[in-house]
Amino acid sequence: MALLEVKEVYFKYPQATILENISFHIEPGEVFCLLGPNGCGKTTLLDCILGWLKPYSGQILFNGCPIQDMSAPQIARQVAYVPQIHEKTFPYLVRDIVIMGRASFIGPFDTPSAEDWAIAEKALDMVGIYRLKDRPYTQLSGGEGQLVMVARALAQNSPLVVMDEPTAHLDYRHELMILETVVELVKQTGLAVLMATHVPNHGYYFENQGIRTQAALVKNKQIMALGKPSEVLSEQNLGQLYHIKTRIIDCQLDGEALLKQVVPISTIDHRSS
Amino acid sequence: MLFIAAPLAVILVSLLIGRYPVDIGTVVNVVFCRITMQSCNIEDIYQTVVWDIRLPRAILGAMVGGCLAISGAAFQGLFRNPLVSSGILGVSSGAGFGAALAIILFHRVAAIYTLAFVFGILAVVLSYIISRVYNGTPTIMLVLGGVIVSSVFSALLSLAKYLADPLNELPAIVFWLMGSLASARYSDIYIAGIPMLIGVSGLMLIRWRINVLSMGDREAHSLGINTSLNKAIVIGCATLATAGAVCVSGIIGWVGLVIPHIGRMLVGNDNRILIPASFSLGAAFLVIVDDFGRILTGSEIPLGILTAIIGGPFFVYLLKKTKGGGW
Repeated sequence: MALLEVKEVYFKYPQATILENISFHIEPGEVFCLLGPNGCGKTTLLDCILGWLKPYSGQILFNGCPIQDMSAPQIARQVAYVPQIHEKTFPYLVRDIVIMGRASFIGPFDTPSAEDWAIAEKALDMVGIYRLKDRPYTQLSGGEGQLVMVARALAQNSPLVVMDEPTAHLDYRHELMILETVVELVKQTGLAVLMATHVPNHGYYFENQGIRTQAALVKNKQIMALGKPSEVLSEQNLGQLYHIKTRIIDCQLDGEALLKQVVPISTIDHRSS
Repeated sequence: MLFIAAPLAVILVSLLIGRYPVDIGTVVNVVFCRITMQSCNIEDIYQTVVWDIRLPRAILGAMVGGCLAISGAAFQGLFRNPLVSSGILGVSSGAGFGAALAIILFHRVAAIYTLAFVFGILAVVLSYIISRVYNGTPTIMLVLGGVIVSSVFSALLSLAKYLADPLNELPAIVFWLMGSLASARYSDIYIAGIPMLIGVSGLMLIRWRINVLSMGDREAHSLGINTSLNKAIVIGCATLATAGAVCVSGIIGWVGLVIPHIGRMLVGNDNRILIPASFSLGAAFLVIVDDFGRILTGSEIPLGILTAIIGGPFFVYLLKKTKGGGW
């Protein structure tokens, strides 16, 4: 039984179909990269998996249990969420944000216990921002803020973490920091990560790190290709998906395995299209 | 501890304040005798002034101030907006219209309380129903519902004023809308105290969840809470508390908006602490303002006027002193 199984999912709004016949599954210790142009339905798919939207048809199962039979706290114990943009309203302290990951374990009229605080602090430690715990999170940089969101997801203790373009607004170093954190967590804890991303190289990055990685390319409401990054993220597929010319290059790091990367060359007929 | 001690101290001090001079020894004696149920040889007039007039007024003031402030803090968290106050969903406008209606139709205090309370609750229920155009209750639709309902009830209130007898009823409506604690009795505390107590207890219990709700619906859901249910509980409790307060005191602005901010500056934004702190600060603030209202001039100044006149400069002072507290 897979940790997450998505079976023939369709999603429709009254005026438009967003997703057609989406199927895949995710196992523990695996990174699943969801790629596709803007508006292809990635976020809708993630919302279905988080139980926020209901598919029109098809099934979403966590360890064999259909999502529509699960309550909000039950879903939260299976899947945690790192949003693309977190709208900061009140200047909460970092630890107050991270402890919210424990909400599904805390009764409606309760407050976090000492054990919950310990778990939250461990989560902060795991992503390496323990030192920030007493800072207002509105004062953090974008990268640090995103790490707080990752820590909050970890405090949830769910086997799957859904990340919606977690590096979208980050600089080069912080992007790499998030990726390294994900690799570390997947390797150490057997976490599974489902990540929507606009960067094909993220798929290669995880594969290069020796993690079991799947990449799914979503085009025209459907999964156009699904498999290992080295098989799926080909020059031909990326050309079809994004209308761009690319080259896949290898480079040999000293003593280590081959590093694969996508290098963009040019767009294809973007003036005429 | 300070949160409990501060309002109590303020209530005690306010027993000393008023036009009829009572010295501190007498006050302490009266309170001590009454609490321990002993008979004591203090003149009846002192007992009446301290125990039957000033004390219920101070207690009611503390409860009203606390309720308005705690509801404001809860709504600010729920709506993720620091500019929201306890009246956001129309409870004040509804109560105002209810009171005006009662003044015109029934001329009785009990009717004013009842209709103000009922229409206050009704306004919020209407806002809530309006917001349910989709599944769930999107925050923006709730706010919009509140704006619509508030404006309709304001219009109805104007209509009531327009139709009211200008010699007796109109002044009564206008004075009610300015807010006052002058007629406070123990019976007010018992009756209006029930919804206030239920509302405040509910908000105190669910206060940590307000943190989670303030992350927005989608994130709160992904963190594992039933957003519609939790929102409904917070709205219900805050509305009970506010409606209970407004129906005995009239419209008192400012407290539900600014006291939570003062709380944020003093204790931070974590609702675990902010919610009780808001209650305590609101309670102390309103009792103090009411004391000023009683002694500043020969006749009483309505509370709704003083809260802003005293509270405004005080808020600016705090803003300067705490540099805004992290905003």
